[in-house]
Amino acid sequence: MPKPSDLMFITAQVKINALTCIVAGSLLSAFTGCGRDDVRTYRVPKETNSQLAAADLPTGHPDVSGAAALPATSANVPADWQEAPPGEMRVASFHVKGKDSKMADVSVIPLPGMAGRDIDNVNRWRGQVGLAPVSDAELAKITESVQVGGQDGKLYEMAGQNSDSGEKQRILAAIVRRPDAAWFFKMVGDDALVAEQKSAFVDYLKSFSFTGSGGGAAMQDAQLPPSHSPIGNILPAAAPSAPASSEGKPEWQVPPGWKEIDGGQFLVSKFIIISSDNLQAAVNVSMSAGDGGGVLGNVNRWRGQLGLSQQSQAEVDKLVQSIDIEGGKAILVDMSGTDMKSGAKTRLIGAIVPKGQQTWFYKLMGPAALIEQQKEAFTKFVQSVKYR
Amino acid sequence: MNGNKSATVLETPPKRAKGSQGKGPSAAGAKGEKEKRSGADGFFTGLIDFFASLRLTVVCLFLGMILVFWGTLAQVDFGLFKAQNEFFRSFFIHWGPKGATWKMPIFPGGYLVGGLLLINLVTAHFTRFKWTRKKIGIWMVHVGVILLLVGQLLTDVLSRESHMWLSEGQAKNYSDSSSHDELALVDTSNPDYDEVVAFPDSLVTKKGELRNAKLPFTIRVKNYFANSEPQVRAPIADNSPPQATAGIGQRFTFLETAPTATMDSRNIPAAVVEILTDEGSIGTWVVSNWLVEEKLLQLVQTNFRNQLGESLAQQLCSRLLQPQEFTYRGHTYQLALRPERFYKPFNIQLLKFSHDIYRGTDIPKNFSSRIHLQRADTGEDREALIYMNNPLRYAGETYYQSGFDDVDPRVTILQVVHNPSWLTPYFSCILVAAGLLVQFLTHLFGFITKRKTT
Repeated sequence: MPKPSDLMFITAQVKINALTCIVAGSLLSAFTGCGRDDVRTYRVPKETNSQLAAADLPTGHPDVSGAAALPATSANVPADWQEAPPGEMRVASFHVKGKDSKMADVSVIPLPGMAGRDIDNVNRWRGQVGLAPVSDAELAKITESVQVGGQDGKLYEMAGQNSDSGEKQRILAAIVRRPDAAWFFKMVGDDALVAEQKSAFVDYLKSFSFTGSGGGAAMQDAQLPPSHSPIGNILPAAAPSAPASSEGKPEWQVPPGWKEIDGGQFLVSKFIIISSDNLQAAVNVSMSAGDGGGVLGNVNRWRGQLGLSQQSQAEVDKLVQSIDIEGGKAILVDMSGTDMKSGAKTRLIGAIVPKGQQTWFYKLMGPAALIEQQKEAFTKFVQSVKYR
Repeated sequence: MNGNKSATVLETPPKRAKGSQGKGPSAAGAKGEKEKRSGADGFFTGLIDFFASLRLTVVCLFLGMILVFWGTLAQVDFGLFKAQNEFFRSFFIHWGPKGATWKMPIFPGGYLVGGLLLINLVTAHFTRFKWTRKKIGIWMVHVGVILLLVGQLLTDVLSRESHMWLSEGQAKNYSDSSSHDELALVDTSNPDYDEVVAFPDSLVTKKGELRNAKLPFTIRVKNYFANSEPQVRAPIADNSPPQATAGIGQRFTFLETAPTATMDSRNIPAAVVEILTDEGSIGTWVVSNWLVEEKLLQLVQTNFRNQLGESLAQQLCSRLLQPQEFTYRGHTYQLALRPERFYKPFNIQLLKFSHDIYRGTDIPKNFSSRIHLQRADTGEDREALIYMNNPLRYAGETYYQSGFDDVDPRVTILQVVHNPSWLTPYFSCILVAAGLLVQFLTHLFGFITKRKTT
């Protein structure tokens, strides 16, 4: 029979051991998570056909077994332009042959999202023909206006010596910025030949049609991963959906100086405003079912277009103001920033008008000076709209 | 007589006036008791008393309440994963001034509070518990709760969640981590297998140089973006040099965007890496999850198609799908920044994904995935149906019907959970319930017996 003193000793010893084990075990368990910095090396079997088959073409990709058509652009192609395979990124490509085997190349390339500022592109082309870069002020002087498929574009002409070959070379380049992509039309080749082809090039631009082209459509609000934030240049947040048919188009009073142009497939209307000093602004009118992404989503989308940071609901609530319209209220927001496409200082005034099961969006965007002049006209335009 | 004043006693004797000589019989006995204990024994006894005290239990429960409340609110700014790590998977919550590189602990974290509670429960149980037949139920309840706490700790430390994205007909022998990425260098030279060296994202985010004995070159991580966005880069418009000298970085630019922490968003990382050999650099590549995850590729393709038409979209996307690789010393290596992969010794192929809705409505009725499981080493070859509340338990993992793709109806998303201690909650609940029942019945029979005898 153990003595009482022995029992006491054993009990104390058990207590100490138990405590030690518990603490050690807990610490050990907790630190099992270490090793996250370990590099893993292993061998895996080669992927089989069934593993690769669906992965080669990402899921959801339509059948591409048939020859897919290029974006359905059309234009009157000059007789002496030889059509060439479009090649990478090009929707159209031509070779022009002149006297003495002189050559010129014509390309048409739409680029989604940010495609560089005009000045950056122009200076790049100038560099290709050995010319020095120009400043913003000098750029304005060398810019020519040109019509491209009924839309206003900018034409640049530069001549010099090819920096690689040393030959005399000329570049004609036109840029048209559409809602979703910037279109580049470029003729480059022998100096004399390109100079001779300028009128043919301009005629080609005038006859060009964006109808049916993928580049002419505004970006659809494609499905994001369920947990991904809106992506600025590829996926604008809460982009307005397709507009109503013409029978639902409201009536409005168009301010003087506003010129309506083709807004493409996803705008109800589009207006261009050109000031006396050649500043240009645009008014986009679109409509979405439901709330179209709401005030927060759309204000932040516009902020993204101006290079501004995203804001919270509380911050946006302070930014917007309410204006009276027929039958209710509209939200108005006025923001300034930098146009992410052109790099120019830009001001944007947006109006969001909830109308039953639809929401209408009006956006005036352009140089700050012109927007200041047009702000009142824009507000009156929004207030003049009579919805059917 | 032991005049050791450092000895800690169970009960502090009442204060006496200075110089007082009078001591009552109990005070004299207590003093004698105190003098008998050694210093070490007194220390351990005090320690055990501290860990067994009810006061510690109350304090820990109170701290736990604050922790849960604070952690829930922090989730709004930090996101779920970061809030869990900072508040619950830590011994302390740290704070540092904005812009400072230092942080200091300001509040106990989940591991500390939970750990103390566990020690408290065990110590109190062993110090106060008297083993009698009447206390069997209490013993079972305590063991059940201890098992629950330990089980949850093991789950937190050892469990692993990943997912499998499968299209009908597609088979995979790996799942992708939901929370961690890796920079993988895959030697595809051998015709029978691929040799993978995977650097965890914790090393990639630090940038710098990465080496491994299996690689005859060094990888320099020149840049790392926690969140990124791809853009088409065309020579006609882009004035700056390409982001990389080889691979997809020549055609696409991956812009760094602000990391997001909200519940409905996700960071998609990208990195610029350079391969350095004894002969010098052999090039730089851009690697990103954009180039390997099916859903992200689908997203990019859909938008190119909408914007540029089918032909241009195909041209651009065909480049995205091509693996980025280089050859060095007769070996071909592929580079990829991808979710951390967990390979299995078997293949799971999706035969059919069904998304049933109630007729005439958009209300989902059922999601189910009929899969084909094939394992070469055991010869196992069978089909199984995974649907809501009916996961597949296989090889220590559980495959749940987690989701589906909102664009492609042929795609299923399975959640794969590896949790070695998944049975502990069941055992602990059974033990607690049984213990309560035993204790109740013990008291009941004791009461009935007592009544009969009286």
